[in-house]
Amino acid sequence: MMSQGVGINAMDRLRLDSPDRRTAWKEEKERKLAKLKQLRAERENRRRKQLEKEAQEAAVRASSVPRDDQDLDKMLSSLGVAPVSEVLSSMSSMSSEPGGDHSGSPDKSLEANSTASPRTPSKKQPQLSVVSVQATNIPPRETVTYAKGVQTSGSGDGHGYYEDWWRPRKAEEEDNSLTMLDTPPIYGGGHNRHLPPGILPTGMPTVQDVKPALATEAEKKVEEEKPQPPRELSDEEKQMLMMTEEFHSFFDRSTRILERALAEDANIFVDYSHDYEEDGEANESGGIKLSLNRWFYDERWSRNRCITCMDWSPQYPELLVASYNNNEDSPHDPDGVALVWNTKFKKDTPEYIFHCQSPVMSATFARFHPNLIIGGTYSGQIVLWDNRSQKRTPVQRSPLSASAHTHPVYCMKVVGTQNAHNLISVSTDGKMCSWSLDMLSQPQESMELQHKQSRAVAVTCMAFPHGDVNNFIVGSEEGAVFTACRHGSKAGIVDAYEGHQGPVTGISTHSTPGPIDFSHLFLTSSIDWTVKLWSVKETKPLYSFEDNGDYVYEVAWSPIHPALFTTVDGSGRIDLWNLNQDTEVPTASTVVEGSPALNRVSWTNSGQQITVGDDMGKIWIYDVGEQLALPRADDWARLVHTMGELKNNQADDDQSTRHYDSSFSSLTSLSSSPLR
Amino acid sequence: MSAEVEETLKRIQSHKGVVGVIVVNAEGIPIKSTLDNPTTIQYTGLISGLTDKARSVVRDLDPTNDLTFLRVRSKKHEIMIAPDKEYMLIVVQNTNE
Repeated sequence: MMSQGVGINAMDRLRLDSPDRRTAWKEEKERKLAKLKQLRAERENRRRKQLEKEAQEAAVRASSVPRDDQDLDKMLSSLGVAPVSEVLSSMSSMSSEPGGDHSGSPDKSLEANSTASPRTPSKKQPQLSVVSVQATNIPPRETVTYAKGVQTSGSGDGHGYYEDWWRPRKAEEEDNSLTMLDTPPIYGGGHNRHLPPGILPTGMPTVQDVKPALATEAEKKVEEEKPQPPRELSDEEKQMLMMTEEFHSFFDRSTRILERALAEDANIFVDYSHDYEEDGEANESGGIKLSLNRWFYDERWSRNRCITCMDWSPQYPELLVASYNNNEDSPHDPDGVALVWNTKFKKDTPEYIFHCQSPVMSATFARFHPNLIIGGTYSGQIVLWDNRSQKRTPVQRSPLSASAHTHPVYCMKVVGTQNAHNLISVSTDGKMCSWSLDMLSQPQESMELQHKQSRAVAVTCMAFPHGDVNNFIVGSEEGAVFTACRHGSKAGIVDAYEGHQGPVTGISTHSTPGPIDFSHLFLTSSIDWTVKLWSVKETKPLYSFEDNGDYVYEVAWSPIHPALFTTVDGSGRIDLWNLNQDTEVPTASTVVEGSPALNRVSWTNSGQQITVGDDMGKIWIYDVGEQLALPRADDWARLVHTMGELKNNQADDDQSTRHYDSSFSSLTSLSSSPLR
Repeated sequence: MSAEVEETLKRIQSHKGVVGVIVVNAEGIPIKSTLDNPTTIQYTGLISGLTDKARSVVRDLDPTNDLTFLRVRSKKHEIMIAPDKEYMLIVVQNTNE
């Protein structure tokens, strides 16, 4: 009643909108609290009453139970049934008998139970006790996932994760939670701001695949962009690119490879069911003693220049260096050119192009430095080129000084061993200098080659006998050949060999390895149209070859055949002499196409090809037929025999010439007599 | 220096059977070409892809290996490709005997 009254009054008060609403609220609260108390008190009273009742009932039962039992027992015993206690005990002994017991008198059994239980000393009264149920709230296991976005999100909004989660948020923030459904469940983080810790916004944890990182999305975008055509470069940009160093080195490498590839033509598709032409040609070439293989000529660099020297690389037998004179027709081009040619590939452009300011009179590969090429110039300078650098000009050169050469350097050679080698150079003023390749600023030692009362020898050619580093042979402009010594007591000119009537143009020492050593032999060629064979031991020539009709510019022994040598002359003629076959005429001879004057000749290391340089800038490569080029085992012995014959012939000639002189008158008389 | 490049290109171009020469950079943009523009673009696009694939084949088979030269022979032409780190040189040659 009181509560009702309170309620109505309260409602009236609220409706009135009185200013003292707060007080009304307070009173309401107090009334409610009082009501709660009342209810609680009533509840407690009821409970107490119930408990008392139960206790009383229990007590009543307990007290009343024995009387009932006794009555029962009497009744039962009258019937002849065993006393209840026995029955109960038997019943209790039996384990489970659901059917019979239940179907029987349930009341009795119950009563029996109830009666029996208090009777037994150990009263199995169901112990009722208030048990407080421990309700544990195990939070669901959350899958910890990782997403890039979450880590970078800021948390400076003031609504921290643990702060005020129970406070109702505005609608916007609640909307944020809805968007969270798209993203994978996140443990912690700034997004779950309004949820109690541990509870996921999505409710029950859902198993979601871990989404890949954002990077792959970026890759996909890039791939999509690729099919778009690449941007064009302007002409200027292209020009700029072509100026760069990288471009040049790339271009140099690639064009080199490509030119070789282009030159090697498609022989892989040759159909052999056709006539095998190549075989026929090969047979023919086997018969021919001297046949042209190819030539090397560069329109730009070797045109109109005389070839002054040729040398083969010791490391790469297919590389040939040729030095060129100046081109009178083009004064603006560098005066001295050296080109490295490759005989292995069909590419007909030089491997390397080098030039310098003074005509190059001699060139050689640095024997122990595969990358260096040395040139001796008209000005007396020694220049050094390196094929590792991109430059075409010399990387090193000797100075123009009186300590070095002041005359053209026609002869150069690298002698010695790997660890102790020198470059020997001789110029036409008779000066011989020995250089170290590391330092070209001044020669290591220099020597004047003088003969007969300090008369300098104008050296035009030089050769070292095979295996000798100390003694060498030089040919001079006067026609005399000298042997000289580099070191020792007899340093300088040792012997003079007179024989030629004109400047000596070429010397070749015998260096063919074999059972018999002929290294004392050497050949000289001269302007006087002859080639002479000498021995170091004799100052007079052993033999003179007089078949030529023009200046003989060079002579060269074959590296494999002991009795074979070749000569070239100013009429374009190449001669092959085989001493064992014929000493009067060359065994093979051919004229180079166009009949240019041939300045230089050289054998390849294999001994089966001859390279000839002419004065128009072309290098001709001729194949020598196998029968001619390859020596037979008895060639050495035959050469000894030949030498003996030559000696005898010479002795006879000498005698006969003496006889001629003495009996000239008799001869004339003899000759005149037939006429009578 | 570019005169030398021009000279070399002219020399290659004048070689027997050569149809065209193209220099391409790493991005697939033609730097220099002796063919007309649409053909150049076509060749460049197709060959860049082929070269990349070939290079990946070589490197997948052996990671220490690398592509040095590629030759594609067909009935009518032969395409020779010299790839490099930054650039690539392509030469097209006729294969008539």
